Amino acid sequence: MMFDTILSFLIFGTIQGSIYALLAMGFSLVYGVGGILNQAHGAFYVITAYIFYSCYINIPQYGYLIGIIIALIATTLIGGLIYLLLIKPLKESHVGVVIVTFAFAFFIERFVSIAVDSIYHNMPYLIVGYFTVFGVNIQYQYIIILIVSLLLLALISLFINKLKIGKSIRAVAQDPEAASLMGINVDRILAYTLMISAFLASVAAILYVPVETVAPHIGWTVLLNSFSIVVLGGLGSLHGSVIGAFIIAYSRSFTNYFIDPVFSALIPIIVIVVMLVLRPRGLFGKKEIK
Amino acid sequence: MKNLTKKFAGLTAVNDMSFEIHRGEFVGLIGPNGAGKTTIFNLISGIESPTSGTIRFDGRDITGMSTHKIVNLGLVRTFQLVRSFKFMTLLDNINVSCLSSRGKKIAKDYGIDEYSSTILASVGLIDKARLPPVILPHGDLRKLQIGKALGTNPQLLLLDEPFSGLSHEEAVNITDLIRSLHSDGVTVFVTGHVLRELMGLVPRVIAMHQGKFIADGPPKEVANNKIVLEAYLGRGGEFART
Amino acid sequence: MKINYEFHDFKIYFRDWIGTFRGKLTVLCLIGLILIPLTGNNYIIGIFNTFMIFTIFAASWDFLAGFVGQVSFGHAIFLGIAGYATAFTIRFLNFPWWTALILGAVIAVLFGLIIGVPALRLKGPYLALGTLAMSLILYQLFLMGSLAILWENTFPGTIMFGTDGIGQVPPISPNPGISYLIIFLIMCVSLIVLTHLGKSKLGTIFKSIRDDETGAKASGINTTKYKILAFMISGFFAGIAGGLYTIRLSGVNPGSFQALYSFYAIIMASVGGLATISGSALGAFIFVFLGEILRLLGDNPNISDMFGGFTEPIFIFSIILILIIRFAEHGLLKPVLEHLQDLWDLLLGR
Repeated sequence: MMFDTILSFLIFGTIQGSIYALLAMGFSLVYGVGGILNQAHGAFYVITAYIFYSCYINIPQYGYLIGIIIALIATTLIGGLIYLLLIKPLKESHVGVVIVTFAFAFFIERFVSIAVDSIYHNMPYLIVGYFTVFGVNIQYQYIIILIVSLLLLALISLFINKLKIGKSIRAVAQDPEAASLMGINVDRILAYTLMISAFLASVAAILYVPVETVAPHIGWTVLLNSFSIVVLGGLGSLHGSVIGAFIIAYSRSFTNYFIDPVFSALIPIIVIVVMLVLRPRGLFGKKEIK
Repeated sequence: MKNLTKKFAGLTAVNDMSFEIHRGEFVGLIGPNGAGKTTIFNLISGIESPTSGTIRFDGRDITGMSTHKIVNLGLVRTFQLVRSFKFMTLLDNINVSCLSSRGKKIAKDYGIDEYSSTILASVGLIDKARLPPVILPHGDLRKLQIGKALGTNPQLLLLDEPFSGLSHEEAVNITDLIRSLHSDGVTVFVTGHVLRELMGLVPRVIAMHQGKFIADGPPKEVANNKIVLEAYLGRGGEFART
Repeated sequence: MKINYEFHDFKIYFRDWIGTFRGKLTVLCLIGLILIPLTGNNYIIGIFNTFMIFTIFAASWDFLAGFVGQVSFGHAIFLGIAGYATAFTIRFLNFPWWTALILGAVIAVLFGLIIGVPALRLKGPYLALGTLAMSLILYQLFLMGSLAILWENTFPGTIMFGTDGIGQVPPISPNPGISYLIIFLIMCVSLIVLTHLGKSKLGTIFKSIRDDETGAKASGINTTKYKILAFMISGFFAGIAGGLYTIRLSGVNPGSFQALYSFYAIIMASVGGLATISGSALGAFIFVFLGEILRLLGDNPNISDMFGGFTEPIFIFSIILILIIRFAEHGLLKPVLEHLQDLWDLLLGR
């Protein structure tokens, strides 16, 4: 009796953790490199979900796959557009950027509920079916989520540490002025960073939306969880985000299975409050100047 | 009565400096650009924390204390890159300092605005009281900074490069102002990177270079100190004539 | 002696203020507002009630963001907590409306401090997202059916959680005219207090924190203490708005915690102009009335054929907010006032 609950909790925690890690990494990247807390991060998720869904229901036969491709491309491009049109022009005003991205999140939420509808929808898994281990059913979708996320996380890690663009990104994250003196086009790097962030959120959506639902408001929990994870892991620390993602995912899963789902909802805010009081720089963040 | 002691080490900008300043003194801190003078000020005023070492003020250990608490003990600084509340009137700029817990104790007996006006008058800016700092020339902004510091009723005043960017006339103005502050009983600790400014002003100079202490004494002595000469000449003659 | 002196001061101040264009305009608007109940039309009275309540809400946000520079994305916290506290104490504890209102606002502030204190102690962007996070979680929490059942078992006869929220909250007075005037009075008092605080020495301290927090600290100001104070003041008035809103809608439900309401506060204050309390009134006016017009248009079958649901108010407002922040960051109040004043001069032949 106990054992399969434990297994379920582990599985679910791992899956959620992978998705959270993708989302948090993108969010953390944008903050670390550009100092921007992108309120529209959740919007990337929503945009993908709805393009994915629309293609699926409107295009016969290959709608699912076409939806994936179009959603990924469109969302990534929108990430760049957001930088160009909303963030870059408001660089001097931190307040302005935050408000404008916040407004954009609402814009998207309303847009999709008008353009499509506001009812909950379900999407099928990429590969339907499951296998059973120790009495617990493991959906193939879960395996896909795990593999794709870990692969992507590893790729991004490699990208940032080894490739030239990655090094430029790190340079801008450390010191934008010095980076531009070294000939790095800071603007373009910031745009790329936003696009990467959007791309990661988009992949997360494609993988996870079939497990949960399609609805206009799903962006907000994405933002909430991303922020909470990044506060835990450390604003600006990429591996902090990944570790934080799994800590929070397992905590939520644990509370869901063994305590009470009510408390699971409270975890993000408890994490935020406790971290801000005890260790604002997060588990792995750099020390801030007073 | 008591004095100001600093010994700290370890921030790569400042390496094991120790010195004391006594109440009522008038001391200069010199060193070429990048020597670490502003860092010392940052450490003393609580904007940064030393990696190791202690800072004592008036018998208290203030190492790592938050800036506003330090100010309310009577230790205040001005900044090399002039800071002001750009869109408030000069009067309001001074008012803010007068509203600190330490400043308020004195200011409220006179009325905050009245007290601030007196300060503005003492730094020679009273006719511009209703103007915002954005439109003022550099020399006036330096005076404003000193005025803001005065609002907190300081015992010890740290002036970070108060002469940089000033014309000769403006520098003379500031020099007179600082002198009169000192004669009013404020302990003054000034930095500069050209000796000439400080030579005629202070009776004692501390010299540093690359984060380290190199000399301490009357200006004439320090100016002829071999190590000091090397430090300055090595930098291409930013050296003052005695 | 001192009281007489201050009153005399105030009379001069008032006379000077009325003399200005702005003063005259404000008085005109206030008179117009007082006359609304005379229309006898409950729909119109209702809309203006909402407008006045939202003005308080927007002004409270503006106070924090415009004067102190602290941006909150979770003002819905105050709206919701005060709403629930007010509804609960009126319906289940039989408190009079004004006690419930003040109590609701105070409780709202206490809840706000849970995230406010940790966030404001730090330098950094924590308040905005922290408050948003808290409001989202409160939304989920109050929506939970399981908590509703738990509550009813622990405190039988009372409701707290659950999708329905608390209903059947009676109005301030059975006479809509009186209710309206009371709300009007509360609004005036709130706006006067907030404006006065902004112009006081306390306001000077707040503005110094906004303009240069490190500089304020270097001037001996305990910025954390004052940021928290401003947060509490802002939260209190937002809570008053929340309590009034609940009374106005005869109930409260988890919807009050939606990010949407926090967004409303931001739009109204930003459109009007940050750091101008009267700008919040202008913003609230535009928001409430434009929103209503858009809603009516949306109901009209001809329009909805042409535009499909795109006249939806929040959709339009999010676009407006983006455009305004992009192109007219300081809000519309000053330009509007200038144009009105030019028009006025023109009419008077100057």
